[in-house]
Amino acid sequence: MRSVYVLGVGAHPWGKFPDKPQLQLAIEALTAALGDAKLGWRDLRGLVAASSRFEGGLGWGLHANELLQAVAETGIPAVNVGGGCAAGGIAVHTAASMVASGECDVIAAFGAERMPKGFIPRPPGIPDDITDTDYLRWVAIGATNPAYWALEARRRMHDFGTTAEIFAQASVVMHQHAVANPLARYRTEITVADVLASPTVSDPLHLLEICAVSDGAAAVILGSEEQARRSGVPLVQVAGSAVATGQFGDPAVRIPTVAMSAGALVPHTSEVAGAVHAALESAGMGPGDVDVLEMADNSAWHVLAWPEQFGFLEPGQSDWMIERGEFGVDGKFPVNPSGGFLSFGEATTAQGVLQVCELVWQLRQQATGRQVPGAKVAQSAVLGLGANGASVVLKA
Amino acid sequence: MDPLTGMENTVDAPTQVAVADDLFHVSADGAALVGSRCTGCGSHYFPKALSCRNPKCDSKVVEQVLLGRRGHLYSYTVQKYQPPALFRMAPWEPYAIGLVELPEGLKVMAMLTGIALTDIEIGTPVQLVVERLYQDESGRDILTYKYAPIDEGTTS
Repeated sequence: MRSVYVLGVGAHPWGKFPDKPQLQLAIEALTAALGDAKLGWRDLRGLVAASSRFEGGLGWGLHANELLQAVAETGIPAVNVGGGCAAGGIAVHTAASMVASGECDVIAAFGAERMPKGFIPRPPGIPDDITDTDYLRWVAIGATNPAYWALEARRRMHDFGTTAEIFAQASVVMHQHAVANPLARYRTEITVADVLASPTVSDPLHLLEICAVSDGAAAVILGSEEQARRSGVPLVQVAGSAVATGQFGDPAVRIPTVAMSAGALVPHTSEVAGAVHAALESAGMGPGDVDVLEMADNSAWHVLAWPEQFGFLEPGQSDWMIERGEFGVDGKFPVNPSGGFLSFGEATTAQGVLQVCELVWQLRQQATGRQVPGAKVAQSAVLGLGANGASVVLKA
Repeated sequence: MDPLTGMENTVDAPTQVAVADDLFHVSADGAALVGSRCTGCGSHYFPKALSCRNPKCDSKVVEQVLLGRRGHLYSYTVQKYQPPALFRMAPWEPYAIGLVELPEGLKVMAMLTGIALTDIEIGTPVQLVVERLYQDESGRDILTYKYAPIDEGTTS
């Protein structure tokens, strides 16, 4: 297996773009990444799409073959990978594997989404009965996605004494980071008082403590070391990457299930914990080597819980770390210098690709206004519906 | 009569229909959830499962069981805004969702009833009940399962 390097990254800003087709978002992101790599469409030897497309052809997520047919009919292989919102991470992992195996010298991975407003509806063609828990959780319980995160948050308050102010502070820190990120949708600094004054959605979580849904697109171009040296960009290596699924006995309150194991036999959110550990292992590193983490903060609870669950911090440690500003870019454990999902709104499958873009800018020391000083090793962690997880480790 | 709901404890009457089939069962013993148990390793599932999911289990034969009559509240949330149309509840008002730890080795999500939204406490012993969510266009009561505090019948 040969080493894999990042040749270029690019993204379309996050927001709501009702007049821009998904294809246009994808073209702009990939064009930016190709420009960054000083390459053209004809230089690509493969294209991997993060797809959320459901059976029956509806849903979101753009396929790689469609993008090629629209922009550059070069005949190269198109690979479309699923995995819910983890698809972005899975796409980068797949592209990296195709470079490592020697199959491709230059390959791109991308995700492009235009999200429906508000709740994400069920895919069509699924029967309305108990065999689909995504039906059951709505009709029998009225369990929204924030309700799942709120159950975890309430239990954390019970277990660790986490306060409403600490959850609010986690959101404040994410928004602080986004102020300097031109790609983020919400770039206004907010206070703990602002968060606590926003409407309670699912108690104890407020509106400003859960992520919105956005439109957005991101692309990453990977290649061999020879290609990377030729491009002249600062060298960033894909030191490791992994995809994982959930393990039996996982205590996580996992959307859209309505029952879970009562025992804690395996790590909480095992699909992401498994990917994080496997990615570090493939890089020959441990959690202590990571200088900056980009993780899926669907809620303020995630900001506190995930670094603990995946072995970066001790259980309960995040509370005082947040209070002392240690999750900030100058802190002991910088989390989401991009601003995270809370500041972007989730463009589902594009999000896992954007995480990698941000980490590349961090390792190249190009993250103006939100730079983690001297970052050498960076890791992403993303969760997808249906017990999917993915993680990428990058090294400057 | 159910002291919490004032309704007959039956889903057999034509005027009362479960929100989904094969979800819960009501008898003289009260309400229970319809789930599965693996005959090989004893793992329980809700709702009914096609197969055992334990990777260490080679049996993979599951049988239908009733479960979840009683448990303890592990966590809860109060849903303060109205979910999309797939969820029907009339009249709509903020409601509590609990995560209930069962002796069968499961935690189950369910709406909570019989308790003020400001008085919910983790650790509360609860029991399964069946209540009306809404009345449909043909006048039938659509029922779902919920958990209520066990309080020696003092609920009025």
